[in-house]
Order: sequence, then C-alpha cells, then structure tokens
Amino acid sequence: MNLSPDPWIWIASLLSLAIFSFLYRDNSFYRLAEHIFVGAANGWAVTFYWHRVLWPYLFDPLSRGQLYYIIPLVIGMLYFTRFIPKVSWLVRFPIGIYMGYYVGVSIPANIQAYIIKQVQGTILTPRNFQMWGAGSTGIIWSVVLFVGVICTLSYFYFSREHKGALGVTSRIGIVFVMMGFGAAFGYTVMARVSLLIGRLQFLLGPWLGIIE
Amino acid sequence: MNILDLLTKIDRRIIYLVLLVVVILPLLFPKAQSTRVMLPVEKLFNAVENIPEEKALIIDFDYAPQTQPELEPMGFALLRHVFKRRIKLLVLSLYIQPLGLAQNALTRIVEEFNSVAETNADSIIYGRDYVFLGWVPPPIIPILGMGESITNVYEVDYYGNRTDTLLLMRDIKNYNDVELLVSLSGADPPKYWVAYAQNKFGLKVGAGITAVSASEYYTFLQTGQFSGLLVGMKGAAEYEELVEQRLDIKVKRKASEALLSITYAHLVMIAFIIIGNVGYFMRRRQK
Repeated sequence: MNLSPDPWIWIASLLSLAIFSFLYRDNSFYRLAEHIFVGAANGWAVTFYWHRVLWPYLFDPLSRGQLYYIIPLVIGMLYFTRFIPKVSWLVRFPIGIYMGYYVGVSIPANIQAYIIKQVQGTILTPRNFQMWGAGSTGIIWSVVLFVGVICTLSYFYFSREHKGALGVTSRIGIVFVMMGFGAAFGYTVMARVSLLIGRLQFLLGPWLGIIE
Repeated sequence: MNILDLLTKIDRRIIYLVLLVVVILPLLFPKAQSTRVMLPVEKLFNAVENIPEEKALIIDFDYAPQTQPELEPMGFALLRHVFKRRIKLLVLSLYIQPLGLAQNALTRIVEEFNSVAETNADSIIYGRDYVFLGWVPPPIIPILGMGESITNVYEVDYYGNRTDTLLLMRDIKNYNDVELLVSLSGADPPKYWVAYAQNKFGLKVGAGITAVSASEYYTFLQTGQFSGLLVGMKGAAEYEELVEQRLDIKVKRKASEALLSITYAHLVMIAFIIIGNVGYFMRRRQK
C-alpha cells in the first residue's frame, strides 16, 4: 500500500466514498458531496462560458469596434425579459430565431439520417445481406430484421383491434420489443458495473496505491 | 423468516455488498484478459488502419467523468494506434466538460511515445503531428462549418495558437482532407456527425459509445452509416487487443483488466434475477 500524497487525489477519493455511502442510506456526507458537485460544476461552466464563449465571440469583437455584434447581444439579452412580466413576451424573439434556425437545419438532416437510411437498411437487398458480415447467414439475419421491424410497427398500430393477421404480427412484435428491452437492460448492467470498476480502479490505484 | 421471504426480500445492501466483492477481487490481482475481437471493432480498427497518408483522422472526445471508465480506454487505444501509424490527427470536443479529459488523454499518450523516441522525427510534435482544436459552441456550428473551412471555425486552438499558423493545418482545410471521424461519446454526438457531417459532406463516421447506448447505435452500423463501432468496456478491451496484437504495443490494458470483474458482476446479477424469479413463482403457487 502506497497512499497518495496528493491532496486533490484525497479530496476526489473522499468525495467518491461520500457518494457511495448513499448505497447504505441517505446521509449528510452524501448530501455534502452532492452539493459540492453541483456548485463546482456550475461555477466551472459559468467561468468557462465567459472565457471561451462570451469574451472571444462577443465582447472581444465589440471592444475592437465590430459594432454589428450588438445585434446578437441584444437578441440574447431578450432572454432576460422573462424576468420582467410587462415585457416578458419579448422572449419569443430569441426563442423563435433559435427554433427557426435549428428546425430548418435539423429536419432534412434527421429525416435523411434517421428515417430514410434506416428504412433502406431494412429492405432485403444483397448489400444489406453483406452488412452483417456473416456470409450466407446474412440473408437470415436480414429477414429476421425485416420481420422484426414490420411486426413491431404493427404492434404500435392502434387504429384497428389486434385480431386476425394483425393479432399474429403484433404478438410477434411484442416478442421483438421484449428482446430489445432485455438487450438494453443487459447493456445497462454492463455500463453501470463499468462505472463502478472505473471508480474502484481510481480508489485502489492513484489513492491507495494497491494496484498500478 | 421462511425461505420465500429470503428469496424475494433480499436487502438491496446485501446485493451491493456481493457486487462490490466480486468486482473488487479481480481488480486487486489485475491481469489483462484476452478477448475475441468482434466485427464492429475490427471494422473501426481497419478504417483507421486504412487512412491514406495525406488524409487526417478527427477524434471527437465527448466523454465526461460519468462515462470516462468506458470511453477513456477507447481514447487511449485509438491514440496509440494513430501515433504508431503516424496518422495526421485533429482532436476536438463538442461540449466543454470533456475538454480537460481530452487534454489529459493527449498529454499521457504523447508522453508515452516521446519517452521512447530517439529523434525529432520519431517524436510526436504538437502542430506537426496533431492539433487540439478545442471547443466551439453550439455543436452544430463546428460540425457544419468544418465542411467549408476548419480554420475558420477554429480560429485558435485549445492552447490559444492561431490554427492557420500550424504546420498540420496547411494540409487539412476541410472534410475533403479528412478520411474518418471517430466520436467517443456517451450521448448523441455520434448521431449529430452522421446527420450533419455525413449527410452533407460524405464524411465517414465511427463511434465509441457506452454500453447503455448500444442498442440505439447498432442500427447505424448495420446501415453502413458507421464505419465501425466500439461498445463499452468490452469494445475498448477488444481495441486494446488489436493494438497489442497487430501494432505490437505492450502497455497496461485498463479495459482488458476489467473484463473479469464485469463477467463476475454479470453472473451475480443473473443469479439474483433467477433467485428473485424462483421466489416469485413459488409464492404465486402457494397462493
């Protein structure tokens, strides 16, 4: 055992243990660590936004005489009118400008990337068979995917009672949905255990010096 | 307390304690586990390996402390691969939180290479071999803007140098000079790169993601929108395996050392799920 002489390692380790103490029950050490985290994260973000965004992209150009930067400054400042009831309606301008820009940019891109390409990937084509990298069994996996998508979509079709053919496909669909949930849960367990491992590697390594 | 109460009402703190024991024991005696490399990881490795000499790789470091254990080993392994093959590298983050972690990863791996370098040509030099572009908000601005001009979006790098004065940036103007982008993230950035940079400019995208997002992202691999995919600690361990086997880089493999803990933790979870279900069905039969 080779304890770290670095005070920052000690602070990080003790805060980690304070957070872990919540697993036993809620306590003041946990709440202290939680408040320190929220305060430090916010303070850091505000400082960083000032130094890396507001100053270089707004106030610095303004101080160098680029006066047209007053336009984004004024539009941005309109967000604060929300705190003044008489003129709070002015907040709609920056929100409208931002939404207009973002929706215009994102709708075509999202439709292309998340709908059209995904639908193309579901269609039974030789290219899609090869994408599985599984040789001739790629055809089987493509058919499973195709059936899974169709049946799952039919499960979420609520305009008709799930009877007859629709009843069969929707029942198959729910099996695929459940398998999806199972896979997601399994991956979630792996992710959470990985986080625990990361913290334990830190506590056992840099802090206690038990492992390298 | 009868057997049914024992099976169905196990105190959650006992579960935590058992998990802690099975996770911590393998970590006390660390040994890198060899692992079978899966196709998504191999695809990403090959995509990096096949980057032409004149083109660059961009790594988007977008992991924060809460996703660091899974994604940092991927970052380390990727950087080792890139520096070993002398691939031109640009590093950036779409958010502010990951900046410090990105800088930490770069510093560590660059030192690792420079400590054994004998000449200037062997060394990894900032501005010549890699550039840390830093962060420009909001994410959509750099993603779209770099398609036109990288130095216009990032006028200064993370350290405050003007990017148009850096040697590497003379050859890398926009996405036409970039072969591949790899996004390491626990959230949406890999999807942003696909939706905006790939759709509009045809940029190839690879991703390293947390295990919790795996089921959401596998579809992008199947459609060919991702050139490769690393998932969680297991994906990181597989990339470490490839780096050791194919590039002959023998260093501490943090993700590979964690695999045994993950295996035991999964076995414990499976055991508790079975115990809970057996208890539930026995109780139902009693009623």
